[in-house]
Amino acid sequence: MHLLLGEFKKEHILFSFDARIKILVSIFSLILTISYNGFIFPLLILSLCTAYFISIRVPLRTILIRYSEPLFISSVLLLLKFFFSGKESLFSLDLKLFTLVGYKDGFIDGLILALRILSGVSIIIALELSTPFTEIMASLSWFRIPKTFIEIMMFTYRYIFVLLEDAIVIYNSQKNRLGYSSFKVSLSSFSTLVGTLIIKAFDHSQKTTTAMMLRGYDGKMPFLGHSKFKKKEIIASVVFMIALILLWKI
Amino acid sequence: MKICNVKTKYVASRIFHKLFLGRSEVIIITFVVIFLSLSITSDAFAMHIAEGILPLKWALIWYGVAIPFISYGIWKLKTKAKIDLSFKPLVGLLAAVVFIISCMPVPVPTAGTCSHPAGTGITAIILGPAISSVVASVALFIQALFLAHGGISTLGANIVSMGIIGSIAGYAAFRFLQTFRAPLFISGFFAGLLADWATYLMTSFELAAGIRGDSPLFDLMIQIIIAFMPTQIPLGILEGLMTAGVVVLLYKKRPDLLVKLMVLKQREVKI
Repeated sequence: MHLLLGEFKKEHILFSFDARIKILVSIFSLILTISYNGFIFPLLILSLCTAYFISIRVPLRTILIRYSEPLFISSVLLLLKFFFSGKESLFSLDLKLFTLVGYKDGFIDGLILALRILSGVSIIIALELSTPFTEIMASLSWFRIPKTFIEIMMFTYRYIFVLLEDAIVIYNSQKNRLGYSSFKVSLSSFSTLVGTLIIKAFDHSQKTTTAMMLRGYDGKMPFLGHSKFKKKEIIASVVFMIALILLWKI
Repeated sequence: MKICNVKTKYVASRIFHKLFLGRSEVIIITFVVIFLSLSITSDAFAMHIAEGILPLKWALIWYGVAIPFISYGIWKLKTKAKIDLSFKPLVGLLAAVVFIISCMPVPVPTAGTCSHPAGTGITAIILGPAISSVVASVALFIQALFLAHGGISTLGANIVSMGIIGSIAGYAAFRFLQTFRAPLFISGFFAGLLADWATYLMTSFELAAGIRGDSPLFDLMIQIIIAFMPTQIPLGILEGLMTAGVVVLLYKKRPDLLVKLMVLKQREVKI
């Protein structure tokens, strides 16, 4: 869960940028990445983001953990494309039971796909590392995302940490009472843990509502206000986006 | 003696070649074993489509499919929140529970790996499919942002498979079995199982449609289904057992909550 609370240098120029501009630029880069069919652009985005992670000194372990799932999935897809998709055969092996054929065009497609996944993930990681969650939420309300949806996200984000502490306490106490000692017991212990968390969620929701009502809650939550856009930031982001388009067209 | 040695070696190598595999086959098998070992050491995050997999066209199509369902879910949530002010915090907290349980690794014995439950079955039973899809989309958004599970460009597709199809399948299974007065454990089990398997099948379809290129859609879908089968078949069963366990626990410990959320009727529980 330490992944939710990044520990790194927060003095980079991107931290001071308006969150709305960062979201727009990130989505724009993401659209360009997923609509590009080649190696150069995703590699460039990946290098840019990696340089950013190095400059803000994100621990290597954090980055590796975040990339673990995309890396796994891109490897599976690369193999699927290599062996099961394509026309131009690269090699063929008779494996007694079946013939394994590797396709050149399938391999290239798989590699492009893998790079697209890694560069897409790096854009989102860069956005998340440079913007606090509350600012992202406030910006989403500016983009007219339904307030109810954002409110739910705020509650969720706030209570992940509270419920996680509860989960750790329950888990430790289960372990002390020989929970998770065999497969069958593990299943029963896990169900009890989840069930108890749901009961705790009900109880917390009642207490939270009472506490919020005492502070004037009427069903609507206030969000952070927005300052005016800064000219410098707009110009910088427009120049950056134009540069991206030019590189995308290469 | 020397000739004999050479002959023996030759015969031995022929026998070895007939009985065992050639060098190229050994290389391929080694490669597959290394790949599988690498996959086994990491969690099998099977059923979230990662960022960047889907081309723009398919990413937009799945967003288009998800938006009406999520809008309906939000409308329903708002209506319920007008009557009960604690409903929004409750939904937010349940989304936090879904987020936490989907971060918990569950051992999958047949695949020799770890995976995680989706939690859609239980939220579909408690909140109904419409609000459950909102819960899933919140959990998916936070996972995509902070843990790189799933993605922002693939959020629409993930909402459709896990949030919408998973919730509908889980809720339909639970309600169907409850109309026949099946034991709560059985109804809960099939709700969890079908929610998971429906998500798995839908994700396979979305993946196949998104990455197929010139390949036939159905063939690629079958290959994806087979690729994730060792994880998803046992995981569905485990999710079913977990959902059943949770429903029974709620029934025993806090039946009032099940009545309040209209999962069971007053006459069905002993308070």
